[in-house]
Amino acid sequence: MAQNIPQSHMQIIENASNYEEAIQIASKPLLENDYITKDYIQAMIDSVEEHGPYIVLADDFALPHARPSEAVKKTGLSLLTVKDGVDLKGNTVKLFVVLAAKDSTSHNEALQSLAEFLMDKQNIQDVIACDRVQDIKKILDERWN
Amino acid sequence: MKILAVCGFGVGSSMILKLTIQKALREFGVDAEVINTDISDSAGHNADAVFSSPDFIGDLEKRFKNKEIKLYPIKRYSDLEEVKEKVQDLIDSKK
Repeated sequence: MAQNIPQSHMQIIENASNYEEAIQIASKPLLENDYITKDYIQAMIDSVEEHGPYIVLADDFALPHARPSEAVKKTGLSLLTVKDGVDLKGNTVKLFVVLAAKDSTSHNEALQSLAEFLMDKQNIQDVIACDRVQDIKKILDERWN
Repeated sequence: MKILAVCGFGVGSSMILKLTIQKALREFGVDAEVINTDISDSAGHNADAVFSSPDFIGDLEKRFKNKEIKLYPIKRYSDLEEVKEKVQDLIDSKK
């Protein structure tokens, strides 16, 4: 898969009524482009209910994902920013990156880039500050490698 | 030294945690093997330490109860400062 997230998989919204809705919206590009089925979205939400909020990997950032399964057709990532933030079990999240992994290795390269990107907290804040997806794409192209 | 990075599925969050731990180890100049795994497979590994979410620590304590192992709760898997603090503690305990 491509290292980076395609612009067509990025969305910016003002607010969401809860984290479930945010995950559903964030997953939409993956659903519409046949990367995942609806079951995968439910599995990601169930995982938060079952395992708690550890998908909040950094302040303001969450990586919703579930176990590789039949519900994933292609490995891919999508991105959503929620300007006002949304509560995820006591953590405010403004940036969601949805990970759909078809198996346990195909996404490793992308995750390595993501891990490096996340360790600099300023990167997260800069993405959240963007008002246009083109600007988010530009930041990722420059700093996500 | 061997460290386990544990999450619910062993594919996403634990991979990020593993990379954060590796970065911390590099900064301390320490060599160690880091493996990411899911919670159900975790006890099958022999390791010196387990890094995982606070939500998993209770479960992990039961799984590793007969083993000499350090369990470190990590709230933010990509928070290098938080991870470094725990890695430092582990390194000190091995001295």
